Amino acid sequence: MTREKRIIGLSAIIVAALALLPFVPGAADSYLFFLLYLFFLYTIIGQAWNLVAGYTGQISLGQHAFFGLGAYTAALVWSRGLFGAEHVYYFDPLTLIASGLVAAAFALVIGFPLLSKLRGDYFALGTLGFGEIVRVAFVKGGSYTGGPFGIVLPSSLYESLRPHYWLGLGLAAGLTLLIFWIRRSSLGLALVAIRDDEMAASSNGVNVLKYKLVAFALGAFFTGMAGCLQAYYLFHVSPEGFLNLNWTLYPILIAVIGGSGTVLGPVIGALAVTVVFSYANIFFPELHPIFSGLAIILVMLFMPNGIMRLRFRGRA
Amino acid sequence: MPEPVLKLERITKRFGGLTVLSSVDLQVDANQIVGLIGPNGAGKSTLFNVVTALYRPEEGIVFLDGKRITGAPPHRICRLGVARTFQLVRTYLTMTARENVMVAAVYGGGAMADAGRACDEALELVGLAASRDLITEHMTLSARRLLEMARALASRPRVILLDEPMAGLNASEIEEMIQVIRRARDERGLSVLWVEHKVDAIMRVCDRVVVLDHGVKISDGTPAETIVNPKVIEAYLGEPSS
Repeated sequence: MTREKRIIGLSAIIVAALALLPFVPGAADSYLFFLLYLFFLYTIIGQAWNLVAGYTGQISLGQHAFFGLGAYTAALVWSRGLFGAEHVYYFDPLTLIASGLVAAAFALVIGFPLLSKLRGDYFALGTLGFGEIVRVAFVKGGSYTGGPFGIVLPSSLYESLRPHYWLGLGLAAGLTLLIFWIRRSSLGLALVAIRDDEMAASSNGVNVLKYKLVAFALGAFFTGMAGCLQAYYLFHVSPEGFLNLNWTLYPILIAVIGGSGTVLGPVIGALAVTVVFSYANIFFPELHPIFSGLAIILVMLFMPNGIMRLRFRGRA
Repeated sequence: MPEPVLKLERITKRFGGLTVLSSVDLQVDANQIVGLIGPNGAGKSTLFNVVTALYRPEEGIVFLDGKRITGAPPHRICRLGVARTFQLVRTYLTMTARENVMVAAVYGGGAMADAGRACDEALELVGLAASRDLITEHMTLSARRLLEMARALASRPRVILLDEPMAGLNASEIEEMIQVIRRARDERGLSVLWVEHKVDAIMRVCDRVVVLDHGVKISDGTPAETIVNPKVIEAYLGEPSS
């Protein structure tokens, strides 16, 4: 208990320090500042996958679809002025939430047939198929979605990376806190029961389909908002940049490396992935994927349960 | 006459062309322990899966306290008052013993406000109160079987279905399990439907014994009546040669 309190206290101090960092003169212009933004973005998508797969046991390979749906929602709402011409869309809470809600709505619509009929690997393949459908739909969307080129947003609005940084930090810390709370709530009890033994869970009164859908939609909601955040950074939403399978692979890497099914695992994993990817990119620009792949293989060989679970080793 | 707690009416279940249960009638009265025995493949586990809605029967109806429950999904069946354990133990391995039981206490249909108390009472009744914070993965088979029993109790059911709770247990563990089953009936006023291969245990504890063979009910009576029933002897030992 005291150990847990120490970790909570330490986390709060780190989050507060990170929140104040942009006020340090010159900090917002450094490369490190960008890496921290990336670290927050990775934490959000990693935690979202962690909720679905790490806690509920449903391996989703369609996270890139939710990321893309969130980004496209922001881009479409913005470029078409759907909330009115006078509305400020850049870093608009309404647009951000709409991005999350659209992704969550798709998760419910696709999750209902997939989760009620498919289990394990078959569910994973189903979500992969869903991701492809979404990608092709946006590529073939014609003038409405901008086809393969996508939608360009007014990048003249960009002043600094600070708002991205704060929003990313807020979402990452908020989602981590939410997962911490879920883990101790009756909702967490249902999710872990489903992961550990679905048949036992249903015969203990847990509505398995309902809670799988809750986890899947919640994960999609945060992934969609992460997509919106990244759209605010790139000002160009395209199938190549957002509906890329990397946005499904990264969260899995992040959660698995850090330790899926733990509260802080994906945070550690996101940090590790950010550091490895960016350093590999600096020192071996051409060989970056090879180096990164090697790092992942090494982690999995020596820490099969993730970095967070290292401390459990040697316990009976 | 009081309504039986659990009543199965003409249950028929087929898998393709194979009839696993044919027109089985069965009832469990209040506060009764009913044994269900039969050779391998007699349809005992299938019958449990029909009652708990893991399978849908081709024909027949299941009643709980006179109300039809066939067609409801598994989690609803539990909330209505039918709890079960599994032949191959199904515990939540990454959870502590208490968390395992809490799942059923919270979601099993009893009042949410009483969940904590129901959970602790169930652990107490099966004798696992001291192991409440143990991770289930590190528990022995007999402890896990008792844990499943506690989980079933914590959902505050009307009837418990036990699927071979003695399988893999040694003699002293079997005695312990028998005491737990008796306590569940005596202290909680529960009804029990109990599938078992350990026929001697069934004969000692049960009020009534039902025998299935190839999906057909061939005997239904007190233990004393059952052991002298020629059909039962034939099912277990084969036809007497003349």
